Amino acid sequence: MPEESLNYYILFANYTHGLALKELLSREQLPARIAPTPRSIQGKLSCGMSLLVKAEDIDAVRECMERNRAEYYDIVAMPCQIQPRRDRYC
Amino acid sequence: MIYLDNAATTVHKPPSVAEAVFRAINTMGNSSRGTHESSLEAAGTVFETRCKLSRLFGCPGPEKVAFTANATEALNMAISGLLRPGDHVITTDCEHNSVLRPLYRLEDEGIISLSFVPADREGVLDYDAFYSLIRPETRAIVCTHASNLTGNVTDISVPARAAAEHGLCFILDASQTAGAMPVRMEEQGIDILCFTGHKGLMGPQGTGGICLRRDAALRPLKVGGSGVQSYNRSQPAEMPTHLEAGTLNAHGIAGLSAALDFLEETGIEAVQFREQALMRRFYEGVRDIPGVTVYGDFSRPHAGIVALNIRNYDSGEVSDVLSVEYDIATRPGAHCAPRMHRALGTEGQGAVRFSFSWFNTEREIDTAIEAVEEIAAR
Repeated sequence: MPEESLNYYILFANYTHGLALKELLSREQLPARIAPTPRSIQGKLSCGMSLLVKAEDIDAVRECMERNRAEYYDIVAMPCQIQPRRDRYC
Repeated sequence: MIYLDNAATTVHKPPSVAEAVFRAINTMGNSSRGTHESSLEAAGTVFETRCKLSRLFGCPGPEKVAFTANATEALNMAISGLLRPGDHVITTDCEHNSVLRPLYRLEDEGIISLSFVPADREGVLDYDAFYSLIRPETRAIVCTHASNLTGNVTDISVPARAAAEHGLCFILDASQTAGAMPVRMEEQGIDILCFTGHKGLMGPQGTGGICLRRDAALRPLKVGGSGVQSYNRSQPAEMPTHLEAGTLNAHGIAGLSAALDFLEETGIEAVQFREQALMRRFYEGVRDIPGVTVYGDFSRPHAGIVALNIRNYDSGEVSDVLSVEYDIATRPGAHCAPRMHRALGTEGQGAVRFSFSWFNTEREIDTAIEAVEEIAAR
């Protein structure tokens, strides 16, 4: 599957961790959008919100998270199921 | 935005609610803490609101209404305050985590044992089980008035009768029905009623409560400042102080009071009729769309909730498309209702929940139906 057809979801244990990372990424001008966590990757330990990051930005986002020791649960790449009508980072 | 997540909280409130909170926050002192004007204003509003809730729910009296932050706190009070080592409790597959987790905790600690009334693939309960699960050590039946996932309304006459016949305490979680349909403690045989103020009652978040029938007595979850009997080592035994340690959220309660006025003027039956009409309109509009699966039993009483899935699409992604492309707010995922999802067979996919309120319009419903149809056709 080509890289650009994947969504990168950053998963969190709770909304606080997610919103903290969103703010951090905004400060560093790294785009990310809050989205519902797909049920199929949510598992038992992550929460219903995740950050959706474009494939082209994921390395910079990872680097930023490592540098700032951001709290997160997992990063999961998954294909987009529904054909988008506009850019949803799909 | 078309807001269809009213089962989580109602965003659109009567304007008088915000006005009442604004007024209260600028004028109110601490309720039941002194006799100066500001304190009495708060105390008066709190008392008035107790009276309104007592009337609304057919509670024995305003002193039997204690305020909490939400239904979860009320349910914790009821469950932890009532149950003793060795007790057995009957609950159902339809419950929200606000019932399940307090019960699971007591079960995991070896304090109580637990039995579940099972639900079928439509989320319909096996009502006979309310009787067949009763044991000599059964102390209480705890159940929801309506599933927050399917919207199926529980026929509470069955657990209420079972409880009355066997001397059990019947605890009702009215999170999805208070304000949206009649809830009457005396007539319906509810011993302990737990409700939230910010959903169907259309009040502010941070409001809710617990109502007790005459003979229900609970060990309080919290003890502390009460403004009365300060030299008593124990929390005062009299209701509602017994269950209300600490400063009340009088600002929120003032908003709830205004919301109750709106409901009284409008009439619960009128609200119910409108929400039911909107729910039915949506259900009729989506049920036959190819690729759409609707969950729940629509042949019996139903709350203003419709849960569905489109093809095998992840419910999170469907909800995201509805939000980003159509500006429609819904709730995907697990809805804090793990056993209900298991019963429906939607544990892996979750479901997209649409939930309606008095303030939704027919046009909004039609737009949502069109959106579902378009997504299903992709």
